[in-house]
Amino acid sequence: MEIGPIWRAMMRNKTGAILIALQIAVTMAIMVNAISIMQERTRVMSRSTGIDEHNIFHIASIGFAEDFNERVTIEEDLAALRGMPGVVNAIQSNSLPLSGGGWSMGFQTEPGAEIDGTSAAVYFVDEHGLDTFGLNLLAGENFSQTDIAWRERSATDWPDKTLVTRAMAEALYPDDPDGALGKTIYVIDDDPVTIIGIIEQMQAPWNGWDGVERVVLTPTHTLFGSTRYIIRTEPGMRDEIMPQVEELLAERNKDRIVRSMRSMDETRERSYRADSSMIKMLTFTIVLLVAITALGIVGLASFSVNRRTRQIGTRRALGASKAAILRYFMTENFLISLVGVLVGAGLTVGLNMFMVETFSLTRISWYLVPAAMLILCIVGQIAVFQPARRASSVPPAVATRTV
Amino acid sequence: MLSMQNISMVYRTDLVETHALREFSLEVEEGDFISVTGPSGSGKTTFLNIAGLLERFTGGRYELDGRDVSALSDAESSAVRNQKIGFIFQSFNLIPDLNLFDNVDVPLRYRGFKAAERKRRIEKVLEMVGLASRMKHLPSQLSGGQQQRVAIARALAGEPRFLLADEPTGNLDSHMAMSVMELIAEINRNGTTIIMVTHDPSLAEMANRNVHILDGRVSDNGADTQMAKQMVEQMAAQMANAATG
Amino acid sequence: MFSYYLKLGWLSIRRNPFLSALMIAAIAVGIGASMTTITVNYLMSSNPIPQKSGSLFYVQLDSWDPNDQGDDGFDLIDQLTYLDAMALMKAGKAYRQIASNRSGLVLEPQGEDERPFSVDTRNTWADFFPMFDLRFQYGSGWDGSADRNLEKVVVLSKEINEKVFGGEDSVGRNLRLNGMDFRVVGVLDTFLPVPKFYDITNGAFNDPEEIYIPFNIAVEYELPRNGNTSCWKPTDGDGFEAFLNSECVWIQFWAELRSEQEKQEYMAFLDAYVEQQKELGRFPKPLNNQLSDVMEFMESQEVVEDDAQVMLGLSLMFLAVCLLNTIGLLLAKFLGKSGDIGLRRALGASRSSLFIQHMIESAMIGLGGGIVGLGLAWLGLRGIEMLFGDYIENMVGMDWVMVLTAVGLAIMSALLAGLYPTWRASRIAPASQLKTQ
Repeated sequence: MEIGPIWRAMMRNKTGAILIALQIAVTMAIMVNAISIMQERTRVMSRSTGIDEHNIFHIASIGFAEDFNERVTIEEDLAALRGMPGVVNAIQSNSLPLSGGGWSMGFQTEPGAEIDGTSAAVYFVDEHGLDTFGLNLLAGENFSQTDIAWRERSATDWPDKTLVTRAMAEALYPDDPDGALGKTIYVIDDDPVTIIGIIEQMQAPWNGWDGVERVVLTPTHTLFGSTRYIIRTEPGMRDEIMPQVEELLAERNKDRIVRSMRSMDETRERSYRADSSMIKMLTFTIVLLVAITALGIVGLASFSVNRRTRQIGTRRALGASKAAILRYFMTENFLISLVGVLVGAGLTVGLNMFMVETFSLTRISWYLVPAAMLILCIVGQIAVFQPARRASSVPPAVATRTV
Repeated sequence: MLSMQNISMVYRTDLVETHALREFSLEVEEGDFISVTGPSGSGKTTFLNIAGLLERFTGGRYELDGRDVSALSDAESSAVRNQKIGFIFQSFNLIPDLNLFDNVDVPLRYRGFKAAERKRRIEKVLEMVGLASRMKHLPSQLSGGQQQRVAIARALAGEPRFLLADEPTGNLDSHMAMSVMELIAEINRNGTTIIMVTHDPSLAEMANRNVHILDGRVSDNGADTQMAKQMVEQMAAQMANAATG
Repeated sequence: MFSYYLKLGWLSIRRNPFLSALMIAAIAVGIGASMTTITVNYLMSSNPIPQKSGSLFYVQLDSWDPNDQGDDGFDLIDQLTYLDAMALMKAGKAYRQIASNRSGLVLEPQGEDERPFSVDTRNTWADFFPMFDLRFQYGSGWDGSADRNLEKVVVLSKEINEKVFGGEDSVGRNLRLNGMDFRVVGVLDTFLPVPKFYDITNGAFNDPEEIYIPFNIAVEYELPRNGNTSCWKPTDGDGFEAFLNSECVWIQFWAELRSEQEKQEYMAFLDAYVEQQKELGRFPKPLNNQLSDVMEFMESQEVVEDDAQVMLGLSLMFLAVCLLNTIGLLLAKFLGKSGDIGLRRALGASRSSLFIQHMIESAMIGLGGGIVGLGLAWLGLRGIEMLFGDYIENMVGMDWVMVLTAVGLAIMSALLAGLYPTWRASRIAPASQLKTQ
């Protein structure tokens, strides 16, 4: 093809070409970085919490009356809940994954105030905790009923047994995570706690925390005045049982109120709402952006074709077929797109480096750049096709017109 | 070589039917230099477009080198234009963004010649019109006469069967016009067939034969031009001289 | 001449409605996207209390673990211990000061079939209401004596008053909270600071609390705490008393200091206090007290989400693409009427007058794009509202500053885009396009 002359002619009339190339370059930079952000968010959102999400829901119970007997209430509530048909198990706890609020404590492998600890999320559970959350115990054993302590609000004592996630074991004992079983760790500088079991996976309440996989279960019933019940149902029965549970708990005891009943699915949705919104906004932006660039190419190419009507007629007279004219303009646009995506590749990487630096975003996966280059070249070709077709239908007789 | 028989061209719209050419016939031999004249609106441009395969005609028959080129597809007629016809336009029609080399190159590219072959031909024709030294210049850097010479070079580069010239000196001053016409005459003397459309009678005289169009019809076909008559008379006189000794 | 140019511009725009519409649309889309994100950023970082933001200061003392950074990786822990908060309140060295935290109580409405429900509570002091310029619909805040004498008084938000008392003047009426009787002393008028600057640790864009009670009451009756509690040291013993005496931080502290001099004096007081505590064995880290006014505090707590800033950057680049588009379209348009331009030049128009004429035309297109862009931005904000739901429902309106910004940005962008095409147009030689080629 006549790449040489096309290029030389383009160089003598650069403006239109530069405008299109720049548009393509900036579009590419935005597009690739936006997609990279979307990929990262999607990855984060698809992380498993380690619990049986679709069948779990939770409800808060807040005591207020003078003679509210919290301990009795909790014992009776749990008995009633566990006895309900369709309920697999239920516990009382302070929090659950993705809820956004909870406890975290630092745990050390050696006692002493100067030692640095590893922070982990703490969930208060009883011996039904593993079953209620649907957790998988990799090694060791569960709590027994006698291990469970009752903890007042301002107490500071920690039970001496604990279950940790594998990730926490790896953080505490990087050289020998499996050897964590049976080891003693220390909370609040020197309160000893023995690891009696290792759980496969469970997430902390804070989805953006870099320690989100570090979780510690402690065998405790809390007497803090308000608490949460976590209930796991048989598959498919959750929606039926939820209103039943709310009614049951509200009726059983008038010295407290129940509220904020939510399914785990809804909790997950709320937890990641900002991320999923970001994904939607970015998708919309990318589509709009590509559309605008494509329309811009159509507009500029049409203008450029109109200016060269006489030239097209001359070429036809000199022997160019319609297909040859079409190929000319498609090739010209392809060269422009090529320059655009090459500059765009540089812009993309530069923009990404800036964003990694300023906003701690992740680096783009390498394959996105060539993929975007290809896509934008194709978009450019599609956009220029119409104007190029119109160019090819300029009749050869135009060459002999004297106007 | 070229034979047009009873060509007619009718433009039809919803309201009006225009007969641009009626029963137009023309025979052109190899080596001919034909001028086609006529007042404005007579159909000269239509003839030009049809002869150059720039437009389809509505009736009649057109043969080129024995081949019927009346109803060719777009690709076929483009190929014929490319290989057999060399155009020279009134307004030169050089591509402003290309230098002289690339301008002459345009039809050769469509021919499919390889780079070395194209270069050879371009250099040869630019040499012939005396502009080889300015190969890398742009048309805007040349005078009108020089631009037309480049256009002529472009027309010749593909070694066409005939040149089709449309008012070749229409946009030139008299001085440049003379030199361009001399070039064209020389090209014809070297054996190239030329069909020239013009409204200027003095230019028409420079050809061998004149065809006059009036209202779409030929009014004076094959009549020898004044110049041709003079040449015949001169030759006759010479022969007579030689005979008498 | 200006009105003449306006007329010319209008005629030119009307002559090719499709092209003009395309140009206006290109600018409008860019403006719409940019203004949506600009507004979100603007609201997130806007001054919620401009008339006083320079005289309200958040107090931070570095009572934290010498071996460890503060929570969340911030340099300075963002709340106070009970010991420190009470010491500062007692000293009363600032013009006004409050120690405060968030709580949740259960309200039992009167009436047998009324079900109790929980209310978002703020435990605070008398100074809170004048300090933060709160206006009352009925009654007023309590005064200092109520704090000292542990009176069970409560201030209601307008919404809670509507819910419980039907919006009437409830001053003097009784309200049962967590089994105790409180007396209503005031009902607030609408109060919706965005961001909720006085307690960023618990959510910068949450709704404000529903009721306000004295801090000392919450401590006295060990009422439940909502909010963050962080401890770096084990408490000395069990029980609430031990908790109050511990190094756990859970209290927000604000001081009102009316002049630079008052600020310096208060800073000196804080430094002296911490030095004194150091001698008692507390505050192991080097002296690092901080007084931040409202805007400084919000910035240090990074209230404007990273996401919002990223979107702002991306949409400004989007605007750049739209501008490039517009340059191309304007170029096509102006060069397309080169006959008109050549004619004007032949008739005596100078280059600069042609330049002005076409810049004005560009500005008119920018104005059109800005107006349509405003509409698109409104749509964009509605879209964001829908996506984020109750996170930011208080936040997504455009005030007149944003409207002016939109129009101004549009016109400036159009002028910028029009520079090159206009320059090209004004260089067309007189009558050059008038000859037929």
